[in-house]
Amino acid sequence: MHAIATHIWLIPLLPLLAAGVVALLPKRASTAAIGLATGSMGLALVLSLAAFLATLGGHADGAAHATHIGNFDWFRLGTGSVRLGFLLDPLGAVMLVMVSFVGLLIFIFSIGYMAHDPNRTRFFCFLALFASAMLGVVVANSLLLLFACWEVMGVASYLLIGFWYHKPSAAVAAKKAFLVTRIGDIGLFLGMLWMYHATGTLLFFDDGRGCLEADALTQLGGTAVRGGLTAATGIALLLLVGAIGKSGQVPLHVWLPDAMEGPTPVSALIHAATMVAAGVFLVARVFPLMTGGVDTPVGEGTSVALQAVAGVGALTAVFAACLAVAQQDIKRILAYSTVSQLGYMFLGLGTGGVAVGMFHLITHAFFKALLFLGAGSVIHGCHEQQDIRWMGGLRRLMPVTYATYAVGMMALAGVPLFFSGFWSKDEILHAAWSWAPSRWPFVLGVVGAFLTAFYMTRQMAEVFFGQYRGGVRPHVGHGIPEATHGGTAGGVHESPGVMTVPLVLLAGSTLVLGWLGTPAWPWFEAYLNGHSAHLDFGRLAAAWPMMLVSVVVVALGIGTGWWVYGRRSRVGATAPDPLESQFPRIFRGLQARLYVDELYDATVVRLHHVVSMVCGWMDELVLGGLVTLVGLGSRLAAFSARSLDELLVNLGFDAGCASTRWGGRGFSWLQNGSAQRYLGGLGLGLATLAILVLWGWRHG
Amino acid sequence: MAMNYLDLARLAAAEILLVVTALVVLSVDLGLRQCDDLARRTRWAVALGVAGCVSAVVILWELVPEGAMPAGMFASDALTRGVKAGVLLLTAGSLLLSRGIRFTPHVGEYVATVILGAVGMLLIVSSENVLILFLALELASLCLYILTGFDKRSAQGTEAALKYFLFGGMAGAVLLFGLSLVYGATGAIEFGKIAQGVAESGVSPVLLMGLVMVMVGLGFKVASAPFHFWAPDAYQAAPTPAAGFIAAGSKVASFFILAKLAESAFGPAMGSSAWGRFAPGWSPVLATMAAMSMVWGNLAALMQTNVKRLLAYSAVAHAGYTLVAIAAGGPEGLSAVTFYAVTYAITTLGAFGVVGLVESATGGAELDHFAGLVKRSPRLAVCLGIFVLSLAGIPPLAGFFGKFYLFLVALDGSVGSLGLLWLVALGAATTCVSFYYYLVLLKKVFVEDAVMPERAAPGTGVESAVVWASTILVVLLGCFPGWILTPLRSALMAVGW
Repeated sequence: MHAIATHIWLIPLLPLLAAGVVALLPKRASTAAIGLATGSMGLALVLSLAAFLATLGGHADGAAHATHIGNFDWFRLGTGSVRLGFLLDPLGAVMLVMVSFVGLLIFIFSIGYMAHDPNRTRFFCFLALFASAMLGVVVANSLLLLFACWEVMGVASYLLIGFWYHKPSAAVAAKKAFLVTRIGDIGLFLGMLWMYHATGTLLFFDDGRGCLEADALTQLGGTAVRGGLTAATGIALLLLVGAIGKSGQVPLHVWLPDAMEGPTPVSALIHAATMVAAGVFLVARVFPLMTGGVDTPVGEGTSVALQAVAGVGALTAVFAACLAVAQQDIKRILAYSTVSQLGYMFLGLGTGGVAVGMFHLITHAFFKALLFLGAGSVIHGCHEQQDIRWMGGLRRLMPVTYATYAVGMMALAGVPLFFSGFWSKDEILHAAWSWAPSRWPFVLGVVGAFLTAFYMTRQMAEVFFGQYRGGVRPHVGHGIPEATHGGTAGGVHESPGVMTVPLVLLAGSTLVLGWLGTPAWPWFEAYLNGHSAHLDFGRLAAAWPMMLVSVVVVALGIGTGWWVYGRRSRVGATAPDPLESQFPRIFRGLQARLYVDELYDATVVRLHHVVSMVCGWMDELVLGGLVTLVGLGSRLAAFSARSLDELLVNLGFDAGCASTRWGGRGFSWLQNGSAQRYLGGLGLGLATLAILVLWGWRHG
Repeated sequence: MAMNYLDLARLAAAEILLVVTALVVLSVDLGLRQCDDLARRTRWAVALGVAGCVSAVVILWELVPEGAMPAGMFASDALTRGVKAGVLLLTAGSLLLSRGIRFTPHVGEYVATVILGAVGMLLIVSSENVLILFLALELASLCLYILTGFDKRSAQGTEAALKYFLFGGMAGAVLLFGLSLVYGATGAIEFGKIAQGVAESGVSPVLLMGLVMVMVGLGFKVASAPFHFWAPDAYQAAPTPAAGFIAAGSKVASFFILAKLAESAFGPAMGSSAWGRFAPGWSPVLATMAAMSMVWGNLAALMQTNVKRLLAYSAVAHAGYTLVAIAAGGPEGLSAVTFYAVTYAITTLGAFGVVGLVESATGGAELDHFAGLVKRSPRLAVCLGIFVLSLAGIPPLAGFFGKFYLFLVALDGSVGSLGLLWLVALGAATTCVSFYYYLVLLKKVFVEDAVMPERAAPGTGVESAVVWASTILVVLLGCFPGWILTPLRSALMAVGW
């Protein structure tokens, strides 16, 4: 126990080192880069498993909280010091295993997927950096360290989304993701500052002095700010804003579907299974704060922050599910489904507590990874076609993909008993039902469950049933072909083993994982809370009405979906969607993502534009006015007598245009290439001197 | 020490006057714009700028009291006053060299930028607080970036300016990071308090890391290898008078503050760079940079065919010689550095003056443009010869004495017993290397025949006067170094070194 707990920092450090070394490797050393990155991830997985086992062992000695912390001084300033730390607890351990396992799968899958990309060295550098940051978020015992890793993760995600930066849509999507999540990060940052101001520490746990421990929580809960809110609530809400940004919750969900511009299976996995879960994880991590500093059993006196969490989650769950109904791009459907499922996790956290939300996070990670890899396999098989209207009938052509995708789909839809999604979603609905403040989240959750079953059935029917419709249009240009695959000419084919084996593995875990959190044997919850689970079928009996409700809802969803889409399969790719012919307006509105992007364009972006125009105008007016004044003054002492107009125009406008033109021409002439080398030289020089001096210090 | 605004205004009178001068130049130029006579506007702007610089020198001696703002924000004493006067006169020289500029219609902005850059340099010299030091460095650097790219018609200039800016931005970031580490280690931002803190807490890895970063940030300013990459591009592509300003005025301020910072703030963390008795601190860092600069600068200069680029690499090499004395430490080091920086700046300014004149006559600054200069304009050729010989360190010119003094200090510094002999030996060896490229230039000027067609040079009276003044100074200071050294020493004594 002790060894791994004190060396928990090794887990994020290994991929970070790998990323650093890979960054220095030349482009052609891709084999070494892949080996290093994947090896570091494998080691991280081994260590994570060890850490996980260690927390399992913690239960045996009956410790209430199997939390192990290791704090250290980052630097000292005068008498004070800033401290950082790492911690290992069940919550972190289970995330560690999930992240490093799914991460390793990403790495392995990418070896094959990126085999022909000339920049794969860089790619693996980014991947390792991403993994390191994500693992860092998990083991951080300090809000500051968590924030730092969080930001690095944002950067890595930006780099990965925009990996094909020569593709304009990818560059735009990367920028959008970065900016939108940044809005959330501002909230997180403010929350962090407030926390430091209020408690004087950013460590989560510090032998009773941490900001998530009883003393600080009582203090925060007792500090009233405005409007009857306590400091704890204020901070919790700010942190929630950060989580909303990262996890793509309404209203900051707009970036996630666009993020699908990254390399298909890889970036999609990051934006489906691991990174977006960081927001959920953050809420789970600061859960004591979310409860308002009052240690109440979940479901009783619910804090404002938790109500907000539940509200945002429920709203997102339905909202994104609606949008998913009308999408045509297989990856976008899954992206909206991810947003919706993240909403469920928030709902679970808000109404049922850490265990409920986290259980859905874990099961979702696996089946969403499965679905995305399946989608990658489909896209691969259909020659980079992503539009489901051009697919169809793949059931016979790609049997393995079909079977595994069906498992994932049923898990996501919540088909009972054998699929993990059923158990985790059922727990969320159960918690929402017994939530005191309001029944609305439950209603929304049920509607969302219906929609989920519906759109997944639609997708299955369009992609795997009916006739293959893709033969007409050979290759739809997505700008850049995602990778050069040698497909069989004209025909659709099953993917090679390197792609199907991970599918089968993930499908297997999807089937198994659900049993860890059934009402009869709530092992997962018990594990997180640090006591051991007992088998008790009585609880199953208590939960069965809710299970019945969700079974009915799912059956309705699937049934409706089949009735609309499966009964008569689509005639041709260009035929309108059955829903579209019935409800054209609604469908098109949904297809256009309910105009949220346009709304932002019309409000936030326009406002920004107007403000900048006003600023520019003021600049011209005020500055131009000054220029005029000075010009008038000097005219007395000056020689010529040109009109004021000309003076203004000449000085203000023309000069500005001319400089801009010259500047622009100069920039276009700027030869790229050597500036980087200069800066590299600076860095190298700095490193050399530092090593020299520090080496001298060691040996002096 | 309480201080009111009047006292502050008197302390900073020279800087205030310069800022006012810059604004006056701008507004007068606005008025003159209407007559569209570039030459006249240039004359006015330059005259006003030079008048500002000269009156600032007078003010420094007549009006500015000795004293300091609280917390070392701004200090004025005999030493800073002298160095500031040097910077101001070099600025005035650069402005006079700019009289014939034809590359931009924005003469007012050009002159104002030069003056504001000079303000930054004066503030650098006056600062005894790392915060102010950083701000002043950034002010000076920003002006220099702008000046480098001032010829907007030249793509090369814009490129060099951008590279300079990128490099400078990164160096600035490193410097700031280093300063914050130093603050973290000592809890102080004043030079004196930092020294106390260092003496109390001893040398720690954090402090060492901060030291290295600070030295790197300042190493960029003095163009020491391996932080010199910007220099060749900037020198070559910047308008020649601006290049002279970058090479002369800014170097004096930067070398002075580097030496002062090392001595007065980090004195206790000096370490030792003596052969075989290496101890961590700033001295070995600077010694390493010095060695690299001497080798790198002199070897790279061998390959150059453009005279401005050649002067840039020669500047890197001279940065190396100067750093040797700083690495030796002690008040003698500061005195040698100041003397060398000033004489080197005068020499370089003159050399750039000649380059500018040749450029305007032949349209370029490649070595071939200098071929047969002695036949075209013998006086100019003699001046250039003297500058180049001074740079090479031939007695009795100023460059010889400066280098001699530097090496003497290094051998006889507080380290004692020939510890820095290895650096001096390296310096002497690389000086021999440098003879080669200096002589190549001289051979072009004095032996070979002209290969480039010549155009009629525009009116060059003022420029020639600056060049002649520099030449005379280089000769006289070589023969009578006491003219600078004696006041410098007494100033050092007065400050209490």
